[in-house]
Amino acid sequence: MSTIWTKRSFVIVGLLVALTLIATACAAPEPTKAPEPTKPPAAQPTQPPAATKAPEPTKAPEPTKPPAPTATPRPKVLNIVSGTDIENLMMHRVTSSPSFTVLQHIYETLFQITPDGKIEPLLAEEFKATGPTEYTVKLRKGVKFTDGTPFNAAAAKANFDWVLKVENKAAYRSLVDTVTDVKAPAEDTIVLTTKEPFSPIQIHLTHGGIAMVSPALLAKGEDALAAGAIGTGPYKLKEWKKGEAVTLEKNNDYWGAKAIIDTVVFKMVKEDGARLVAVESGDADVAVRVPPAEMARLKTNKDLDVNVTDSLRTIYIFFNVEKKPFDDKRVRQAVNFCVDKKAIVDKLFLGAARASDAPIVPAVFGYAQQKAYDRDVAKAQALLKDAGIAAGTKVVLHHPTGRYVQDALVADAVRSQLKDCGLDVELKTLEWAQYVPAVRAERATNTTQFAMLGWGTVTGDADYGLYSLFHKANHPKGSPPVGFNGSFYDNAKVNELLEKGRTETDLKKRAELYAEAQKLMWDDAPWLFLYSEVQVTAIRKNVTGLVVHPQERLITFKADKK
Amino acid sequence: MTRYIIRRILLIIPVLFGASILVFTALRLAPGDPATALAGEQATPELVAQIRQDMGLNEPLPVQYLIYVGKLLQGDWGRSTKTHGRVVEEIMLRLPNTVLLATTSLAFAAAIGILLGILASIKPYSWVDGGSMTMALLGVSMPVFWLGLMLMAFFAVILPRALGMQSPIFPPTGSGTWQHLVMPTITLAMNSMAILARMTRATMLEVLRQDYVRTGRAKGLRERAVIFRHALRNALIPVVTIMGLQFGILLSGAVLTETVFAWPGIGRLLVDSISYRDYPMVQGIILFIAIGFTFVNLVVDVLYAFLDPRIRYA
Repeated sequence: MSTIWTKRSFVIVGLLVALTLIATACAAPEPTKAPEPTKPPAAQPTQPPAATKAPEPTKAPEPTKPPAPTATPRPKVLNIVSGTDIENLMMHRVTSSPSFTVLQHIYETLFQITPDGKIEPLLAEEFKATGPTEYTVKLRKGVKFTDGTPFNAAAAKANFDWVLKVENKAAYRSLVDTVTDVKAPAEDTIVLTTKEPFSPIQIHLTHGGIAMVSPALLAKGEDALAAGAIGTGPYKLKEWKKGEAVTLEKNNDYWGAKAIIDTVVFKMVKEDGARLVAVESGDADVAVRVPPAEMARLKTNKDLDVNVTDSLRTIYIFFNVEKKPFDDKRVRQAVNFCVDKKAIVDKLFLGAARASDAPIVPAVFGYAQQKAYDRDVAKAQALLKDAGIAAGTKVVLHHPTGRYVQDALVADAVRSQLKDCGLDVELKTLEWAQYVPAVRAERATNTTQFAMLGWGTVTGDADYGLYSLFHKANHPKGSPPVGFNGSFYDNAKVNELLEKGRTETDLKKRAELYAEAQKLMWDDAPWLFLYSEVQVTAIRKNVTGLVVHPQERLITFKADKK
Repeated sequence: MTRYIIRRILLIIPVLFGASILVFTALRLAPGDPATALAGEQATPELVAQIRQDMGLNEPLPVQYLIYVGKLLQGDWGRSTKTHGRVVEEIMLRLPNTVLLATTSLAFAAAIGILLGILASIKPYSWVDGGSMTMALLGVSMPVFWLGLMLMAFFAVILPRALGMQSPIFPPTGSGTWQHLVMPTITLAMNSMAILARMTRATMLEVLRQDYVRTGRAKGLRERAVIFRHALRNALIPVVTIMGLQFGILLSGAVLTETVFAWPGIGRLLVDSISYRDYPMVQGIILFIAIGFTFVNLVVDVLYAFLDPRIRYA
């Protein structure tokens, strides 16, 4: 048999083998690891040695010592399959929800928003307005970063200084850019001074983009920040194998209630079908971003729970309230009555969306539920007749395609439903890069009648979701246009309420102001209120306590696995 | 011989130069702005401007290119705009995975493909031939992502459930153990296997018709000796050449397989980087692949020259 191999084939096969060996040997990859602590940590008998490197990071970490004779429980590992890798490890630079999901296990913010929209202290204990433009934050005492650096006023100030410096390109600098000065008058107190009264600042401090990073790490500069993560959170970074998995391990020195799961692995599986197979086969415990079409089938699987949670993104069609025919409130209300939001949610999203009952979603602070515009064709027709709109009036609807889930299909559904009420809709679409400047053009060049857009209220606060989109100060100006109120909506009372919302520090009073503003907006109907997106997550039944946060974050702090 | 090799090596320079220009311009002509991609959806114009400036995107294109090439010549491939990691390091992290998968796939494809080809050629137009070639046809026609998902569903969900097992037979995604390799290997190998099977059958049939084979049979050699010792040896020469080409294709074409099975190779890194407009990373990977291809070509050419003197003097 050996004679069938010519000299040439031997050489070629030999080459292939050599290539493999060379590539494997010369590139024995050193995955990104958390940098070593600057100070040796105090002796902690319960903590496994951090320096040993597990050879196969996707698997449960093997104990470095042979198992002790006493029966120690096996470490609990939670495997999550996620669609997208984190962008990088720089807490202040990332922008995607998968990144925030992972990094907010490591890094903590001063305050936090609970899944039901309440503001709670986290690394801070108290927030007080101590002057018209001065806000004092009392910090939690006795908290340490995992490198041993204490978390105190100096550490918080170092983080604010880093984020505020334009050259550092912090992605969410705009959330705190009204801050002109940060002082640390005491070990546990910082004082923020703003340009103008701005009480949403407390809620902006709940955003992951303003989380607290070890000042020792910050001082080491960009390369160190990109290579490791040192925070105060319930988990520590064990390893990031880029494009493959991020492994977190429990922080046994955590200042609060310690996590139950020892190791959390976020594995990147881009393909929807593959994520489903992973969770159905038990290879993974949790799969995020389940396609709506698969929901019904997964619900019949006795090993799985299908979790459906709101997200913060609202999809809407805004009217240009200065252009005919939508300059008349009755016409705008008629469109709201005519379009069947429930049918869109049920048919196009198979239930994986939520019909809007306010301009913002329930998880946003300040949300106030309104009476839905349920479909009523007769009423819509009457309103149109009242407004003097003849049947068959032509209107142009702009919509994006491929930007939001099912966007073009939704636009078409709106077109066909409005036909029932006597409006003849022409659909127009543009490539995204041209779309936004076109539909939000400044007054002089704006030709939009109504157009579809989405808005993620990422701060979790009504100010970001309402002031940006409904206050007259945000009418688009310039080219490319700046300002998100493409409706040119301008209601004096609403403007006033939104302004008050920015200065009122009492949370209860703020909520009342926003409730009143939303009631007026709902009646004025500068938007066709459509729906908000939801997150569908498949979780194996033996996993409990996992939280899917409306901020599109998965939280495992209190999760357990049987 | 030495002159020939030197000439071939010098020829690499314009090839790589051309490749670098192509990649550089193609990326920048594609719609989409890396600064916007990096800054996120609701970014302020101020942030985008700062990122553009830092990335050097405000310079004219030729200047950007010269800066890029200048750094490249100093061995600086740049840093990923997304992960901030060094491009070379990130490629080297993934390369072994891709090479491993390509190698196992090629081995699998060659073993099964050549066997099927031989079987088909011994009894042409018989049911063996029909069966082998149907398999080959299926192999070329099946879309990779479909086959991948089917294998996954079968080995990780359907079969274990039927057998009452608690865990999948082969892990559906990821890497690290030999079990992880099984399904991606079959998936990736399928196409090459089909090509090799058809190739082997064709060349075998041709060789079997030649005079020396008839002579062999006439002088009473056993059929096995005729087939394996005399015919196959000659028939395999073009097959081996195709194998070399297939290896290159497997290396660069594993993108779909890598995506379906979440296999951490350079194909997936490339796709992810393109969707993120990670210019330094995309440039790095493509240049890397170009260098790989030219290198393999060089080695093959030199080998041919070594084996066949006629080429040397051509």
